[in-house]
Amino acid sequence: MKRLSLMLGLVAATAAMQSCKMKTAATAVQGDAASKTYVAPGKYDEYYNFVSGGFNGQVSVYGLPSGRLLKVIPVFSVFPENGYGYSEETKAMLNTTNGSIPWDDQHHLDLSQTNGEQDGRWLFANANNTPRIARIDLTTFKTMEILQIPNSAGNHSSPFITENTEYVVAGTRFSVPLGSEDVPISSFKENFHSTASFISVDKNSGKMDIAFQIVLPGMNLDLSHAGKGPSHDWFFFSSYNTEQAYTLLEVNASQKDKDYIVAVNWKKAEEYAKAGKGKKVSAPYAHNTYDEHTQTATSVIENEVLLLDPKDCPDMVYMIPCPKSPHGCDIDPSGEYIVGSGKLAALIPVFSFSKITKAIGDKQFEGDFKGIPILKYESALYGEVQKPGLGPLHTEFDGRGNAYTSMFLSSEVVKWSLKDLKVLDRAPTYYSVGHLMIPGGDTKKPAGKYLVAYNKITKDRFLPTGPELAQSAQLYDISGDKMQLVLDYPTFGEPHYAQACAASLIKDKQVKFFDINKNKHSYVAMGEKNAKVVRQGNRVDVYMTAIRSHLTPDNIEGVYVGDEVYFHVTNLEQDWDIPHGFAIKNNPNAELLIMPGETVTLKFVPEKQGIYPFYCTDFCSALHQEMSGYLRVSPKGANVPLKFGTGETAETVAAK
Amino acid sequence: MKKQAMFLTAIAAVALLVYSCGSGTPPPAADAPAADSSMTAPAQASSQTPTDETKGMGKFAEVKLTDPLDQTMVTSGKSTYEVKCAACHKLSGEKLVGPGWKGVTERRKPEWIMNFVTNTDEMIDKDPAAQAMLQECMVRMPNQHLTDDEARHLLEYMRANDGKK
Amino acid sequence: MKRLTKAGLISIPIVVLFLSTLWLAPMWRIDMRAPQYPDGLSMQIWINDVKGDVPIINGLNHYIGMKTIHRDDFREFVFMPIAIVLFMAGGVLVFLLKSKRAYYIWTAAFLVIALCSFTDFYLWEYNYGHNLDPNAPIKVPGMSYQPPLLGYKKLLNFEVLSQPDLAGWFYCAAGVVLTVITFYEWKKK
Repeated sequence: MKRLSLMLGLVAATAAMQSCKMKTAATAVQGDAASKTYVAPGKYDEYYNFVSGGFNGQVSVYGLPSGRLLKVIPVFSVFPENGYGYSEETKAMLNTTNGSIPWDDQHHLDLSQTNGEQDGRWLFANANNTPRIARIDLTTFKTMEILQIPNSAGNHSSPFITENTEYVVAGTRFSVPLGSEDVPISSFKENFHSTASFISVDKNSGKMDIAFQIVLPGMNLDLSHAGKGPSHDWFFFSSYNTEQAYTLLEVNASQKDKDYIVAVNWKKAEEYAKAGKGKKVSAPYAHNTYDEHTQTATSVIENEVLLLDPKDCPDMVYMIPCPKSPHGCDIDPSGEYIVGSGKLAALIPVFSFSKITKAIGDKQFEGDFKGIPILKYESALYGEVQKPGLGPLHTEFDGRGNAYTSMFLSSEVVKWSLKDLKVLDRAPTYYSVGHLMIPGGDTKKPAGKYLVAYNKITKDRFLPTGPELAQSAQLYDISGDKMQLVLDYPTFGEPHYAQACAASLIKDKQVKFFDINKNKHSYVAMGEKNAKVVRQGNRVDVYMTAIRSHLTPDNIEGVYVGDEVYFHVTNLEQDWDIPHGFAIKNNPNAELLIMPGETVTLKFVPEKQGIYPFYCTDFCSALHQEMSGYLRVSPKGANVPLKFGTGETAETVAAK
Repeated sequence: MKKQAMFLTAIAAVALLVYSCGSGTPPPAADAPAADSSMTAPAQASSQTPTDETKGMGKFAEVKLTDPLDQTMVTSGKSTYEVKCAACHKLSGEKLVGPGWKGVTERRKPEWIMNFVTNTDEMIDKDPAAQAMLQECMVRMPNQHLTDDEARHLLEYMRANDGKK
Repeated sequence: MKRLTKAGLISIPIVVLFLSTLWLAPMWRIDMRAPQYPDGLSMQIWINDVKGDVPIINGLNHYIGMKTIHRDDFREFVFMPIAIVLFMAGGVLVFLLKSKRAYYIWTAAFLVIALCSFTDFYLWEYNYGHNLDPNAPIKVPGMSYQPPLLGYKKLLNFEVLSQPDLAGWFYCAAGVVLTVITFYEWKKK
């Protein structure tokens, strides 16, 4: 009996104790993390961090190390918050050969460089869905140019640049037939091509033009980076789906043990293009430019591109075998090492540029891929990083001989030495890191102080917000031997790649306001004296001025239902940080934000008669609430004369 | 863009010249060394103060007046007025957003006027006369970033408006 | 016929009671944790069902080419309950017979059932972990994914812990009671 009860007790105890617990991931942050990221009030961040917005189509700007969001730059998506894509001046920026497109998927960014170092002039951004490249000016943080890329789909290996910003590239993630021929999908192998487009960038103005497109076999070009130093003339693209599958890629494109790094000698390509080896073909694409003088964007449809076929251009393209669907393709600061991150591989191959040149010279080939010579894996290989982790995606460098690779599956950043390819340190990320970024980490001169991991999954890191959670970024201090996590912060959209540069590079170049005397907008109102309303047929142009705290004119009559009313609002202020806004009741459009010295136009087509108040939307002074006016809209055919008030006061009326 | 940069650089250069003997205001940021990862926002350069209280504060301690008026200056001042000032100031004595300009050259010293239109923020913060006007108008006059020449020409235009010959 | 002692008699309803928990609680659990699953994933095996985060686990496993887990694929979920019910009915018979020998046979039957079910579980895990789709997107050379029969194992980025759940502990306890009483009865000849 006693024994029995003892046994029962035992059973109960085991049941109570049951299930050993899994150990939890330690998320301890060391004590001095807070002081490392604290930027005291009145102080500036050390770095500007430009972060792609992914599916929001924009670029976010953060300060590092604080992780504070400073600005969202509208690039590929309309932005009703400031009228981008809605104002008459910016509508043309989003024009394509398929009409105006209000959205895109913005993945990667690259800061312009001179001699392999950031020069703080421009930021390039890619659009993945409707292939385009944008150039953002870093004195105004405005999108200045958007160039559409024909013969392309899934513009993913973009907008990476050569080390003097001679070219910005666009490679296709999705192969498509060239032109617009109607072919069965199953004819992929014959009719589908990937293309690597090289877009020249004007040294002075930054103006972009498609110089040539290299036509490659059907496959998926994933990412790319330019060589530097000794490998200056080369561009390296990672590829997957060299199986040439066109259905169920998840399985069918993961069969081969090796895909390729596509090495393109762009200097040679340039020569071939000059020598007339290319073929000019018709291909319409939109080229949109914002003119800083007229403050207006125009869209031009260009019609021709130059195609280069590797068959006609020997010694221009080589294939380097790379284990299992490489994703990132990153070049170390010296330009000697090319790191291919095979996302399905259990190792990281590192190729040597000097070995590649030697292998090409010695014709160390192991066959060809659709006519393009394939180098022997061993003859191009410097070595492999063994057991780095799972799902390697991207690599950046710290300038001290170390590389940092993001591991998507094992959710960690792994630091390893370029010299002996040994893993030196690991830091967990929370969770599922995609891209990572070191300021200048893809240039000749990285600033190896911080590393930011951009994570795809946030789960339990912040206060929950329903089913959709913000993606997160994590800041690591990498100045020591061990990576130290110092900050977690939520981000905007879905960050993919990012760039960062020292604040001092661009901070003092900022335009604070636009000089009104240089405003060449066709509808500028130079001072209140020139504020007026002009009718031509059913088009009504309102030349309006804004200054603290009134709009001129602020009473408008003689406008009819169905008229096309254009409010051209000029902000007469000449001081920093005094924008004015403009909105009018029931306008099915957006508002405007007008910077000092700028003229911006809102189109309004009233559909019903009535009195429409309009007002300034940006709190500008103590009398901001008074900054408003009325538009009277009369029925069509009514006989109301055109009248507009220009700020008459009680006294002047009495004097009349 | 280039021109703008030049323009800004010019302004910066002038500001630097003005910044000859900083004194008075303590810098806004704490002196304690914070994380080495940040830079201090530049403190406002406090400018030279002309000794005469009624001349306001700014770079203009002595303004040479012309006799008779320089008509080129008047014309140039008029166009500056129309673009940068007319939205708030009438030429009559009537107040709009700011006070009317009639008689301003009798009420204020030329140095005060030149200092106020070029060094607006510091004047509004410290000059008793400017502060009194702020309480009356309730809107801070914006700094319209006039160049020294523009300011001088504007003064000439004000004097013409007040009937000087 | 040797008669059972009082302790032996009392042990019979206790064993039956312990085994009846198999319908009230899961008998086995497999917990998995990976960095991107901070709360972990877990799967509970009942006598006649499999529950928990099975859909998520199935979704993950297709990357490495493992078969998906569905309740209907397990004949065990039909046989196990029948075997246990029959065994419990056997207990009633032993209680009525009050015979030591019957008790021994009953214990032996239990051990046979336990051995069979463990062997079956191991074989299932082996198949599940080794029988991979050759066209899976992720193939790690020399890697198989057999979950541990009992205890801890690291599989790629997942840590896996396999152990009895509540009813499993009662099942084990039933085995302990049977074995101990059998020895006791044997001694008390």
